[in-house]
Amino acid sequence: MSTEDRENILSDEEVRKLVLARLSILSPDTIVSLGADGSFTRDQLLDSVEQGDSVGNKIAQIQMQWLQSFKEGMYL
Amino acid sequence: MRMIVTRPQHDVTTRYLSAWAQEIIERARQKGFEVVDLIKEKSTRSEFEGRMKKLAPELVFLNGHGSDDCVCGQDNEILLQKGENHNLLSRAITYALSCDSARGLGPAAVEGRTGSYIGYTDEFIFMADAQYMREPLEDPKARPFMESSNQVMHSLLKGHTPEQASQRSKGVFRKKFTHLSSSVTDPDALQAAQFLWWNMRHQVCL
Repeated sequence: MSTEDRENILSDEEVRKLVLARLSILSPDTIVSLGADGSFTRDQLLDSVEQGDSVGNKIAQIQMQWLQSFKEGMYL
Repeated sequence: MRMIVTRPQHDVTTRYLSAWAQEIIERARQKGFEVVDLIKEKSTRSEFEGRMKKLAPELVFLNGHGSDDCVCGQDNEILLQKGENHNLLSRAITYALSCDSARGLGPAAVEGRTGSYIGYTDEFIFMADAQYMREPLEDPKARPFMESSNQVMHSLLKGHTPEQASQRSKGVFRKKFTHLSSSVTDPDALQAAQFLWWNMRHQVCL
């Protein structure tokens, strides 16, 4: 995705806020398996997104591609 | 017909994949397949290589962690490595329920060969419930992910082509996605739907 495309959707900070909002409503018992990166609780994911580590960046990347797919009209 | 299944069990992810692979093994045996089940400590490179050479299976079902160029077994021992032993898959239909391996290992395994490789070009993500860690098959949060994935193997066992099996799996992903997207009561539903979409988007048939 080009920088221009990213700017036409949302900034990194806006994506991060969206991701945090979505994750924050998950059940506290929810576990997310991210392959070899491991399995994470809701609170661990929130920390990762806040800190911008590799796991947090992965979740943000998924969110960004999700939004991009709507723009391209190919989400399904 | 012969099938080899690898299913390490050393962390949450592999325990879930292993548990959900059991129904595929049972279905295959019902259909008369000779199944070699490389579970837990049997999921080693030497065991896998030996069985592959001896059995020459038509179907290979890999469950475990992976990366662009490899798929792992118990305790993340590398079972298949691009450039080393990927030729073992050259005549088989392989489904790798593993992250990323359809980027490098998969293409190498089927290049110029008769086999097919269904896998993922990025991470396979699923959700689970901490209250079901000891009962993965009962976990309602994991079910949509595992049923969508298992459709690949169910279709192959019915005799569908690899391309058809992948398309049918994506159809189940899509159905689960639509169901979760319309939920107004489940706080996890929208995030689960997004992860289903991610898996569907990154499943490929080579």
